[in-house]
This record gives sequence, structure tokens and C-alpha cells, in this order.
Amino acid sequence: MTEEIRKNRPGISEIAKYIVSVLIIIYVVLLLLFASGSSKPFEDVAAAVSGSLDTETLTRMDDRMLKRNFGLNSADYDGVMYYASTSSMSVEEVLLIRVDSRDQIQQISDAIDERIDARMDAFEGYAPDQVRLLEDAQQSVRGRYVFFAVSSRATEYRNAFDTSL
Amino acid sequence: MVFSSITFLFLFLPVVLAVYYIAPEKYKNIILLISSIIFYAWGEPVYVVLMILSILLNYFCGLDIGSKAEDPVRAKRSVIFAVVVNILILGFFKYYGFLLDMLNSILPGEIPYRELSLPIGISFYTFQSLSYIIDVYRKKVKPQNSLLLYAVYISMFPQLIAGPIVRYIDIEEQLTNRKTSAVRLGQGAALFIRGLAKKAVIANMTGEIFQQISDMQASQMTVLMAWLGCISYAFQIYFDFSGYSDMALGLGRMFGFEFRKNFDYPYISRSITEFWRRWHISLSTWFREYVYIPLGGNRCSAARNMVNLMIVWTLTGMWHGAAWNFIVWGVYYGVLLVMEKYVWGASVDQLPSPVRRIYSLVLILIGWVFFFSPSIGYALRYLAAMFGGGAGIADKGAWFILFSHWLLYLLAVLGSTTLGYRLIRGLTEVWNGSRARTAAVLILYFGMFFVAVAFLVTGDYNPFLYFRF
Repeated sequence: MTEEIRKNRPGISEIAKYIVSVLIIIYVVLLLLFASGSSKPFEDVAAAVSGSLDTETLTRMDDRMLKRNFGLNSADYDGVMYYASTSSMSVEEVLLIRVDSRDQIQQISDAIDERIDARMDAFEGYAPDQVRLLEDAQQSVRGRYVFFAVSSRATEYRNAFDTSL
Repeated sequence: MVFSSITFLFLFLPVVLAVYYIAPEKYKNIILLISSIIFYAWGEPVYVVLMILSILLNYFCGLDIGSKAEDPVRAKRSVIFAVVVNILILGFFKYYGFLLDMLNSILPGEIPYRELSLPIGISFYTFQSLSYIIDVYRKKVKPQNSLLLYAVYISMFPQLIAGPIVRYIDIEEQLTNRKTSAVRLGQGAALFIRGLAKKAVIANMTGEIFQQISDMQASQMTVLMAWLGCISYAFQIYFDFSGYSDMALGLGRMFGFEFRKNFDYPYISRSITEFWRRWHISLSTWFREYVYIPLGGNRCSAARNMVNLMIVWTLTGMWHGAAWNFIVWGVYYGVLLVMEKYVWGASVDQLPSPVRRIYSLVLILIGWVFFFSPSIGYALRYLAAMFGGGAGIADKGAWFILFSHWLLYLLAVLGSTTLGYRLIRGLTEVWNGSRARTAAVLILYFGMFFVAVAFLVTGDYNPFLYFRF
């Protein structure tokens, strides 16, 4: 009887596998809460974000400007919204992209990093306030959405993006 | 990170190789594990946690099944738990969006949901984990006591993201006992360069042509244009995936591992059955070992065997993605394999070899239409264009693509058949045994490397097609 109880008692590996299973469930819940995108159409998310933007300083840019500034082709993605300042003395810009497939995210992240580096090089030395904005740039990847903002109101724009999903 | 990125080629790989070769034997697995986690986290900083949790889960499940080996009932319960949890994880990340989209399309209202992207490589590492768990249960392998060795098996970067699906049974010995040498390093590098050139030059260029053609309306395509598009895609996917597999095998050899080959000139097959012995061999082997044979394989009635084949090929289609076109693609091959086995296979075998090759190629190309189409409707319209239901037989645009890319297509034909290999071997054997031969081979490989890098630097970002599976 005692031998039977001992044999059926869960071993360390059995307990560990249940603990890891619970950790996986917690991880998935956290992913859904903080890293998931949304099944909402791109137009709805873009409208919510663009509604929060300061359109006195930011102007909607076309596909050509996206290609020029980030080296990205808008036709490659499900949706693109790009706003930037028309002033050459301002680094303010907001980019929202819904990728077609996950493997495009790395390319966009690299393009954003390169853009920040190039802008820092250009403004370093004579426009410290603009460099600070670049340093505080907001970037977020949620599901198939990539968001990027450089602005004194970048956090506010980011919040608008998060709540729009 | 991708193998065909400049960061990987000129920073990550040289640094990891240098540290790996300098380090004493006992630290090599630790170096491989750390570098693999960095490699994965580079592109998937969030999902690296999922991979680590999956490793821990299957490591403990393996030990648990091993500890219950003497009690078949408890061992069976344990393996069922492991298999179900793995399939639930894969199913959740891969199919939950698809299922909700499907529900939304039939329900009157819409269920909003939080969209999660597919973790890169999840289909590959989940299948590797399942092979380990099932083989431990079948007592084909002993459970791995070392978490480090198990983590290296699952995560090693040469095969982590897009295979080949390495079965634990094939690599168990190599985890603790493998040899590195200058010769193996050189052989691995040569294989890697071959794969890189396949991807950067032929796959990406044929991919551009395919993209250009598929942007057209199917109803506006001539027969020639539609076939050119389909053939370009066939070359793209072959050179992309077999290029990746060559790179994986080459990297494995550089680090002392020997993986089984994943491709064996599939486009020279003389039947669809033969095609699947030559295409994505590691996936077909996995399904044969862990689904087809347990279902009864061919040691059963013809009707049951047909059902088994259809189950396996539907699952193969589903493995490729959560979309109807992949399911139809899998079912299409299931039907063809059943027909070859029970209806026309014997007659096909009587045909001359070139006719059998054409028969296989045409069916394979039709299959790719389902594979690359965004919807079944598009696939049917595309197929109609291929067989004359579009805008005529040929147009200037199609002839222009054909004539302006004849060299690319010639290279693709040579590279996807044994002709290219025989040609290179024939040319270099002129100087057999001499230093001139070594010099010729060196020039050839360095040339391929520099051309591939030039294409990567000047071309658009172009990740591997199989990353999305």
C-alpha cells in the first residue's frame, strides 16, 4: 500500500511540467493584454491615431516621402499612415504600419532605427531640443501593427495608438 | 536575424564561430545556446520567452515520461498531456485568428479579438519537441537529463527558424560527441555559400518576377504570362527554401553537426510520390513517423490507407498555414498520392522518363498556384488563365520577361536539376588532383559569395518564404 502511494506520488519533473504549463498560460494572457494587435481594420486604428495628432505641426505624407525617409514601399504593407513636419528644422513625425506578414516587422524596425540615427547625426550640435525628441521617440509593435512617433506629444500619440487597438 | 542579412554574415557569424572554436570543448554547448538565444531574440524579443518556456515544458515532460517508463498507463497519460499542450500552444498561435475570422464570416455579428502574430519558427521547434517526447515514450531514446543539451537541441540557431526539422534521435549522439575541423569548417562554409547564392540571386530575382506578374489581374493574363508567373514562383520557393536548408546544413557542419538533407532535386521527380521523397524531406519524414505509421500506414485495407493519406496531407497543408489555400494544397496532394497509389501509378510507371517528368512538373506547378494564391477564388482564376481562360496565348510583356531573364531561368534550371552540379564537377575535374582545381573551386565559391553579398546590399529586404510557417 505504502509502496503504491509512493509510486503514484508526482515526481519533481511532473510538478515542474505543471508549473511551466501555468507559466505559459500566464505568458499568453500577458501577451494578449500588452503585446497583441487587433482585428480592427487599419482604417479604424489610423483614424483614432490621426485624430489625436497635432495637425498644425504634422502633415500627412505620401508614399514617395515614406520611401525617401524610411526606404519602405507602402505597397508592401496592409496599411500605412505617415505624418511628418514640413519644417526642415523639426524632427516631428508619426508612422503607423500594419504589416502583411510578421517577417516584415524586422525590416521596419531597422528602417526606424536608421532614420533615428540619421536624424541624430543631422541635428546633433545645433538643435539639442530636437535631438532630445529623437532620444524620447516612442516605438511599439503590437501584433501586426508598428507604431513610431517623434514629438513632444509622443507619449500621448502612443496612448492613442494603444487604446485604438 | 536572418542568414542572408549583412549583420549575420559579417558580425554575428564570425564572432560566434571565433568564440566557439577558441573555447574549450566543455563550453561549446553553452556558447551555442547563448548565441542561439541572441539570434532568436534579435528578431523576436517577445517570443523568445515562449521558446524558453516550450523548452522547459518539454524537458520536464521528457523526464516525466522517462520516469514512468515502467508504468505504461501513467507514461501514456504523460505523453498525451505533453502532445496536447504542445498542439494547443501551436494551435493557439497559428490558428486562433483563422478560426475567429472563419466564425466572423458565418456569424451575423463580428467577434472582435486581440490579434497575435505568429512566433517565428514555432512550427519547426514544436515538431522537434514532439519528436523528442514521442520517441522518449516509445523508448527509442532516453530522456535527456541535461537541460543545457536539450535546450541546444531545440534552439540551435542553424535550424531554429525554418528547419530542417531535426529529430532528436538523429542528433542525440552529436550533442555530446561531435567533431570540428578545418575540413568540416570549409565544407560547411561551401554549403552555406551555395545556399546564400541560391537565395540572394536566384530566389530573390525570380521572386521579383513572380511579384510583378501576380500584381496583374488573373483575367488579364495570357497563357504564357500565367505559366511564367507560376514557374517563377516554383523557382523562387525552391531556391529560397532549399537555399535556407543548405545554409542550415552548412552552418551545422561548421559547428560540428551533421543534419540530414532536406531537398534532393525535387523538380526532376518522375511522380508525385517521388516528389515528396525529395521535397522538404524532414517534414515528410516527421509526418510519416509520427502520424502516418501510427494511423496504420499502408499495413491496412486500401480504404483505410486512403483515409490515412488524406489525414496526413490535410495536416501537412494545415501545418503550412492557417488559410484555406494551404488546406486545399494539402488535400490536392493527398488526392494525387491516393490516385498514384491506387489508380494510375502503374500506368505512369510505364511511360518514358521525360513524359513522367513533365507529368510531375505540371501537377507540381498547379499545386503551387494553390500555395501562392491569397484565396481559392484567385487560384481558380489563375488556373483558368494558365489554361487559356485569360487574355489570350501570349503577349509582348511575357515575351519581354522571358527574353530579358533567359540567363536567370537557365541558371534556375541548372541549379534545380543535377545538370548544374554535373557541369561544375565536370569543369573542376579537368584539373583533378592539381592545385589549379583547388584554385578554381576557391574562385568559384568566393565569386558566388561576393555576387550574393552584392545582391543583398543592393536589393530590397527579402526574408525567407518559410519564415511565415
